[in-house]
Amino acid sequence: MKIYLYKEGLLNLLELITFLLETNRKPDFIKEENYETNLLDEVIDLQRNPRKNLWKNWEKNIGKKALKTILYVYISETKEKELIIYYFLKNALKYKENIFYIRNLKCVNKTIQISERVRHEIHKQKGFLRFKETKNHFLYGEIEPESNILYFLAKHFKERLKEEHFLIHDKKRHLLCVYDTVNVYLIKEEEVKKLEIEYEKEELDIEDLWKTFFQTIAIEERKNERCQKSFMPKKYWKYMIEMEDKL
Amino acid sequence: MTLKEKLIILSDSAKYDASCSSSGSNRKNKEGIGNGALYGLCHSFSNDGRCVSLLKILMTNCCIYDCKYCLNRKSNNQKRAIFTPEEICSITLNFYKRNYIEGLFLSSGIIKNPDYTMEKMIETITLLRKKYHFNGYIHAKAIPGSSNYLVKKLGVLVDRLSANIELPSENGLKLLAPDKKKNKIEEIMHFVKENQSKAFTPAGQTTQMIIGASKETDQMILKQSETMYKNYKLKRVFYSAYIPVNKDKLLPTLNIPPLKREHRLYQADWLLRYYGYKVDQILDENHPNFNILLDPKADYAIRHLNEFPKEINKANYYDLLKIPGIGPTSAKKIISSRKFYTLEMKDLQKMGISLKRAKYFILCNGKYFANKKVFQKEFLINNLILEEEKKENNTNHQLSLWGKNENLSV
Repeated sequence: MKIYLYKEGLLNLLELITFLLETNRKPDFIKEENYETNLLDEVIDLQRNPRKNLWKNWEKNIGKKALKTILYVYISETKEKELIIYYFLKNALKYKENIFYIRNLKCVNKTIQISERVRHEIHKQKGFLRFKETKNHFLYGEIEPESNILYFLAKHFKERLKEEHFLIHDKKRHLLCVYDTVNVYLIKEEEVKKLEIEYEKEELDIEDLWKTFFQTIAIEERKNERCQKSFMPKKYWKYMIEMEDKL
Repeated sequence: MTLKEKLIILSDSAKYDASCSSSGSNRKNKEGIGNGALYGLCHSFSNDGRCVSLLKILMTNCCIYDCKYCLNRKSNNQKRAIFTPEEICSITLNFYKRNYIEGLFLSSGIIKNPDYTMEKMIETITLLRKKYHFNGYIHAKAIPGSSNYLVKKLGVLVDRLSANIELPSENGLKLLAPDKKKNKIEEIMHFVKENQSKAFTPAGQTTQMIIGASKETDQMILKQSETMYKNYKLKRVFYSAYIPVNKDKLLPTLNIPPLKREHRLYQADWLLRYYGYKVDQILDENHPNFNILLDPKADYAIRHLNEFPKEINKANYYDLLKIPGIGPTSAKKIISSRKFYTLEMKDLQKMGISLKRAKYFILCNGKYFANKKVFQKEFLINNLILEEEKKENNTNHQLSLWGKNENLSV
């Protein structure tokens, strides 16, 4: 088994794949450098750094949409995301923008399926995320998404809540994203000395108002909890104030 | 009265308005809080399965009108409340900041007269936009009978305006909402259409009809929608299954709201807006109402069996759209893909196209999903009904209950 290693990050992966395609090397696997290999594997670590304009050149070559799609696949953390991206790019060189219509190719179909799932999750999470205002006027929100979508959420809320400080906590990946009204920072949990979250009593009053509104707005004669669940799957409920006690 | 008590009264009276969408505006955040999300965002779903996107409230539930079907009619002995502009701003901003909502949907009972009511609403929304620099989504009701200059003033502040037509016919309106005049409602719609721009109701206008409180057929209802889409460029017509909140000899007595009928109307409305159908194609004097057992497109297909099955690799866009289960997205996917390779059934599945209903009406590369002999009206109807029941059992158990209550009497 030929296993090619790359340093974490989509640009590093893209550089490696570009090199493999240029030199006609066919990988059995592509894995991050901390991947645990066994004795039978032939491990190749090229330690390449991304070349200048790598992303832009790809964009010019196969289109913006294709590049955005592989970004979604990358953050999906699907087990064999690297190989899927490798084969997708290989075919994209041939079919260019039309790549999205060649659904009978397995790698294309997989790529589209995964990217649609990720986009869907980003969309849902933008609506379902809940902030709580802390004592020091930070908006604090917790999530446990399937994919690593923190960057996309930060981008969304940074525009929307320009003048607020916020902190989104991915409890599954132990990642935090902080916005201080100017910049967004991505931080690992272990780099934070102490995360003290405290609320004023007023916060509970507002949550209570929201729960009240949420209950009142439902029409008893139309009750349909199955429908509710299908639009708002249970996995989101944990951090949604109005659903917490339904779990 | 506490803020919480007010919120209960004024959201309870607002809940029957079906519209909650927050789409169509990409208002930017300039030095303040909030922006529009062009495709809209749902922030929650209440236990009736409806999306919660906006803080949907009435400014007040006091009303000088006496519409038979309305909870807030003046003859009802009801607890009344009124929000101050600051109270509405405070709840909106606190909810928005915490990402509970996408914005505000403000409606109101009529106090004193339409102009006075509009002025009060404008005062509130001005405060929200100008003092608090709120750039989130705002949908406001335009009050029929109010002056044009007030509609103009409100329209430049909000993303969307709506005036409810309430009942599908003028007779229905005369009977059940004697204080409301059809021409006043249409005047507003006309005015909004004439003025609509990026700076005036960028997300356009909508309206709503109550279904099942008066005698109109589905054909009359959809004709009304078709006319309004054409004349006033509405973004949406919402259909709201009538739920009895008042007792009145003029109103029907229903135990369960006509949800299934409402569902069929939404499906047909979709056909008008996105599939290029005309009402006359799907309903006529002999079929003035929808088949409760089949969706309108399947019903149409069954009545035009000679046009089917259609070859997926050859049919043009509009023919593809006529296949039950295939919508604009799927049709476009099919057309783009078949340039590169011949499509088989399994290829459609790979694209994420559901074949549950479509398979009965298509040929893929000349092949039918089963022995071609089964392509018979009875067989198709039975299987389509079974598919529909399966779907309902999975997602919408309540809809199937309605069948028992089909005959409305007014």
